[in-house]
Amino acid sequence: MSKIGVFICHCGENIAAKVDCTRVAEVLGDHPGVGASVEYKYFCSDPGQESVKRAIRENNLTGVVVAACSPRMHEATFRKACAEAGLNPYMCEIANIREQCSWVHNDGEQATDKAIDIIRSMVEKVKRNNMLQPIEVPVTRRALVIGGGIAGIQAALDIANAGQEVVLVEREPSLGGHMAQLSETFPTLDCSQCIMTPRMVEASQHPKIRLLTYAEVEHVDGYIGNFKVKVRMKARYVNKDTCTGCGECITKCPQKKLSSEFDCGIGKRTAIYTPFAQAVPNKPVIDKDNCTYFKNGKCKVCVKSCPLDCIDFEMQDEFIDLEIGAIVVATGFQVQNNAVYGEYGYGKYADVINGLQFERLASASGPTSGKILRPSDGKEPENIVFIQCAGSRDPSKGVKYCSKICCMYTAKHAMLYAHKVHGGKSNIFYMDIRAAGKGYDEFTRRAIEEDEAGYVRGRVSKVWQENGKLMVRGADTLLGRPVEVAADMVVLATAMVPQPDAKDFAKVVGIGYDEYGFFNEAHLKLRPVESSTAGIYLAGACQSPKDIPDSVAQASASASKVLALFSKEKLEREPVIAVNNEATCAGCWGCVLACPYNAIEKKDILDRSGKVIKRVASVNPGLCQGCGTCVTFCRSNSIDLAGFTEKQIFAEVMGL
Amino acid sequence: MSIEQQYRTRAKELLSSGEVKMVIGYSKGSTPDRRRPAFISTPEDVETLVLDGACIANLSGYLVTEGLLSDEKRVAVFLRPEGIRAINILAAEFQLNAAQVEILGFNTEGNEPTALSGSKVDDFAELIGTLKGIIPDTAGEELYKKLEAMSPQERFDFWQSEFSKCIKCYACRQACPMCYCRRCIVDNNQPQWVNTSSHTLGNFEWNIVRAFHLSGRCVECGNCDRACPVNIPLRLINRKMAGEVLEAFDHFAGSSQTQEPVMASFKKDDTETFIL
Repeated sequence: MSKIGVFICHCGENIAAKVDCTRVAEVLGDHPGVGASVEYKYFCSDPGQESVKRAIRENNLTGVVVAACSPRMHEATFRKACAEAGLNPYMCEIANIREQCSWVHNDGEQATDKAIDIIRSMVEKVKRNNMLQPIEVPVTRRALVIGGGIAGIQAALDIANAGQEVVLVEREPSLGGHMAQLSETFPTLDCSQCIMTPRMVEASQHPKIRLLTYAEVEHVDGYIGNFKVKVRMKARYVNKDTCTGCGECITKCPQKKLSSEFDCGIGKRTAIYTPFAQAVPNKPVIDKDNCTYFKNGKCKVCVKSCPLDCIDFEMQDEFIDLEIGAIVVATGFQVQNNAVYGEYGYGKYADVINGLQFERLASASGPTSGKILRPSDGKEPENIVFIQCAGSRDPSKGVKYCSKICCMYTAKHAMLYAHKVHGGKSNIFYMDIRAAGKGYDEFTRRAIEEDEAGYVRGRVSKVWQENGKLMVRGADTLLGRPVEVAADMVVLATAMVPQPDAKDFAKVVGIGYDEYGFFNEAHLKLRPVESSTAGIYLAGACQSPKDIPDSVAQASASASKVLALFSKEKLEREPVIAVNNEATCAGCWGCVLACPYNAIEKKDILDRSGKVIKRVASVNPGLCQGCGTCVTFCRSNSIDLAGFTEKQIFAEVMGL
Repeated sequence: MSIEQQYRTRAKELLSSGEVKMVIGYSKGSTPDRRRPAFISTPEDVETLVLDGACIANLSGYLVTEGLLSDEKRVAVFLRPEGIRAINILAAEFQLNAAQVEILGFNTEGNEPTALSGSKVDDFAELIGTLKGIIPDTAGEELYKKLEAMSPQERFDFWQSEFSKCIKCYACRQACPMCYCRRCIVDNNQPQWVNTSSHTLGNFEWNIVRAFHLSGRCVECGNCDRACPVNIPLRLINRKMAGEVLEAFDHFAGSSQTQEPVMASFKKDDTETFIL
């Protein structure tokens, strides 16, 4: 016979203001199988939890229903309290009479009736609850970090420095990401490469980090603590074990006029190339699509020039299988294609460039060795117009959000321009100056006050070419009049957008993404670095636009999450998993296909002589996530979900 | 030689050579217009086989009789195109090994059966391809059109009055080759989701559950329709579901033995019109 304890929480006034808790306690006290029915102001408080424990011991309760807030809040609290009082924690359930009752109803009378129904229904469920035991799964203590930009490198270093193994995967030929492309960084104006490259070297030489560059994650299987990951090692056509990075092949390659991705199209590169001088690893790859040999079957100049015979045109993509315990996704961002702004002439006029291209012009390692020169004729521009929010905060171009970094880097660009081209005049069209951050507002003030950046509040409507000048027409909304500026160069502060393949990649890894393609965190405020999939964490601009300090902070945060996971040898998991009744299973194996976690296997039932009598489905408890997809699919009702069995659900429904 | 004689000879050969251990076909029934399934294991008995315009039942369901195919031996069976599609589904759902099935294929046009060439299920792939989207048996076509023209309320009333006749004999389930479960959901009484008594709610629950369980699997052989003792036009519910599945997922049940069950598989480009 069940003896269920019902504990009705007032939640201060949150519940009690609408629900007559005294009446609820009286009615439930008379419900069959209820051994105790009490109310209290805050059951989640220490004395509240004590009273639950005492009631369990004194009344020998067989189950507990706490009628309170959402189980998301305090289910764990009360299950723990029950366990401390000697009751199996899975005999405790929460009846949500706050979010689903008192908060959403005006009429107290009806809310009270509804609360009674909700609790009664849960009492009927608990009567049929089973004493479940948590599942222990082993944890593979090896992390996978996807993306070798600053966020990925930071996460990898933090994890590796704590003594755990890391595999760092980067799809480009070199580590570095976008930060390696930048000139100076705000708000301190230290050289980006000077602070970035030591981190790259450290990551590549760290004994605990296995670096896989020019590699892509193809497939992720498994679950927290036990992921199975397939990585494609793209063919470099250069044996990176024997290559010393002497660069002979690069100097000899006849194909010299390819647009350099690293220099955002402003610089040129060869077909066999390293993206930049400090690349890690500093070993070239062959761009198969543009290599003369791959196109025409003739050339092989690089083969002849290589003193160590490292070049192998027969090389094929290889696959590596990894066993991984936790994954940090740090795949970064891209800049929006400014061609969406036809009126600004990007792509039409050579001297209309985006912010990242300006970084390459200003960078000491860039195609102009840090001189600000116009791409069209190589002359020093006397007047530059910067257009902020070229993409951001413009729903009509598909980017509703603020890219967060553009106000700062535009101020930086104006400063760098003032420092490098004395007497150069800059005009910055802006909507607002958003400079929240340590030293940020001071930085933009410095641009205005010391480096004489001319800020014009207003949007630009059109850019066109006239007499060798770029004419910029906009509005000065503070003066309330139209302005026209004749400029030598226009720099668009382009929006940060997700990687073009972010949505597909999210499906490969098994995480959620928002309407744009930025990856979703589990909770925007309280779990900002965890994805909704257990064991997968997020770092950097793949989650939302971020600057370097934010990316690094998030990377360290996700590293600490990984290390917390790796602190134990085994992981305890909720025993809410599917269980198959092999006696009634028809072996159609629809569930095997339907299961999104590949947790259901085919199983032969043999007789003593080893003959197959029957073939059925069998759930792997380590892999099952308890989503219930198989339960809804199973036509013969053979699969059931522990903790949410059909019997329990049916009783709950009938209890209403 | 008549097609009947031709197939008798073929059946005899198969049995005499030991190629198959049994031939499942049709024999005379209790009335001139009815045929009864025949299970023939000796060459002498093939003379009782009948093949004419009255041979319309889908015999594929007998193949999944517990233990029939577990000795790895082969069985020959008379099948119309719907029956051949049913073999594909049963194979796709791992209920039988299609290599164990020798098909004696035929079609019935008008009142005369015609032979279909091929003996393995894959031999009929081309034929099945041409059938996609075509209703195999036009029985009830007029009523179906009438139902489609109705408002949801009228349609609901129609089915309510039809289902009110249901006596829960489950003959439709017994006749259906796709109802191979060892324990049907209605036989599960812990909990009793589907009410067993013959009142409106229970009748609705049963018939709707069956329609859902058959969506993307029904080949419209009409076995259920013919088995129903109270003449509920059951095939029309399944026809509706087959149309929906074809339209939404381009899924034609029984196209091949590797076809993934539509309700258990998903593709990235599946339509999501049902997500509001």
